[in-house]
Amino acid sequence: MSIEHHPTDSMLAAFAAGTLDHGQHVVIATHLLSCSQCRTFMRSIEKVGGEVLTGLSPASMSNDALAKVEARLNEPVRPAAADTAPTVPETEVPGLPKFLRRYRFGNWKWIAPSVHLRPIILPYASETRVFLLKSGPGTKMLEHTHTGIEMTCVLSGAFSQDGGHYGPGDFDLGDETIDHLPVVESGQDCVCLVAMQGELRLNGLIGRIIQPFVRL
Amino acid sequence: MPSDNDASLVRVQWGSLVSAIAKRQDRAAFAALFEFFAPRIKAFMQRSGASEAKAEELAQETMLAVWRKAALFDPASAGAAAWIFTIARNLRIDAHRRERRGGVIETSDVEIEFQIDDSPQPDALLATTQSEERVRSALTKLSDDQMRVVELSFFEEKAHAEIAEILEIPLGTVKSRLRLAMSRLRNLLSEIS
Repeated sequence: MSIEHHPTDSMLAAFAAGTLDHGQHVVIATHLLSCSQCRTFMRSIEKVGGEVLTGLSPASMSNDALAKVEARLNEPVRPAAADTAPTVPETEVPGLPKFLRRYRFGNWKWIAPSVHLRPIILPYASETRVFLLKSGPGTKMLEHTHTGIEMTCVLSGAFSQDGGHYGPGDFDLGDETIDHLPVVESGQDCVCLVAMQGELRLNGLIGRIIQPFVRL
Repeated sequence: MPSDNDASLVRVQWGSLVSAIAKRQDRAAFAALFEFFAPRIKAFMQRSGASEAKAEELAQETMLAVWRKAALFDPASAGAAAWIFTIARNLRIDAHRRERRGGVIETSDVEIEFQIDDSPQPDALLATTQSEERVRSALTKLSDDQMRVVELSFFEEKAHAEIAEILEIPLGTVKSRLRLAMSRLRNLLSEIS
């Protein structure tokens, strides 16, 4: 199965430039893990970074800058922290990059019939909230609008949207101008990694009823 | 911008200077890299919003990391400039995080956040078709305006809004110009030479 839906070129470029919000970085990294095509483009943007760097007009360094650094070359290097065991093994949630599996994951919470949410606690301040969203086969994902950007990467299962098929590795972007209504395909649960910026507003009757209980 | 006539010769040497550090801890090679890159990394940090003193510190830290990580440099997968850029980028992200934590220094995880998979080999293979040379030649095909938004997009978290201000054009224009520039770049990179 091949990946059909990708982040935009400018999102991949922002990833390589290191200017993405951490929550969004996490979702793009997850897509990159399964998409070698986007990975290649991202790596060439790093080369563009090298070109931009070498093309800058130099700032003047302090007179003793080189001497100061040379004096430190023989300093012992602190060994890198030992790899901590992943909190969420690949077998439990497939398709996550290694670094993400070491973050703290909250518990699954029920948010609507056959829809569950599991928050991921980011170690750094972020403008986006990141969570796993699990929806049962045939579920219409909650109709909602948001004030910011929402990035989604499918981890397992699949959903359909606007005639398109979204399977593992596929990426989807939502913003205030897009009115998405994804429906989970039959057969198995669909688990997505989502980074959501801004406030979530659930639409529809059920949404309005459960809104006060859903702390997103 | 320096008007090196032998710029391409210098480029080739950067990679071998890094290798010289890796192989025999060559201090002269390090000094040569430092002379070229440190002032540019400092400029990069200042353009990203760091104070003069902070930018100086980060330039020194980046060069120290170049020395320590030299053995990890793989000439087959990236040019030396791209490799040094990624070290500077990671330290910039790290510095932002430390600032927000109120100066508490913690071991940085930034590096592993950019290591997306455990098997870099297939990438390395593709990378040879997207060599530095190829990336450079693609860049020369962008219009001046496109090149400016591409350049500026490397500097700040609030990249787009800031670019709009600097170029005195509406935010929407920045976004569409950047989008065009990036998809043009992707097309140029995927063309078979």
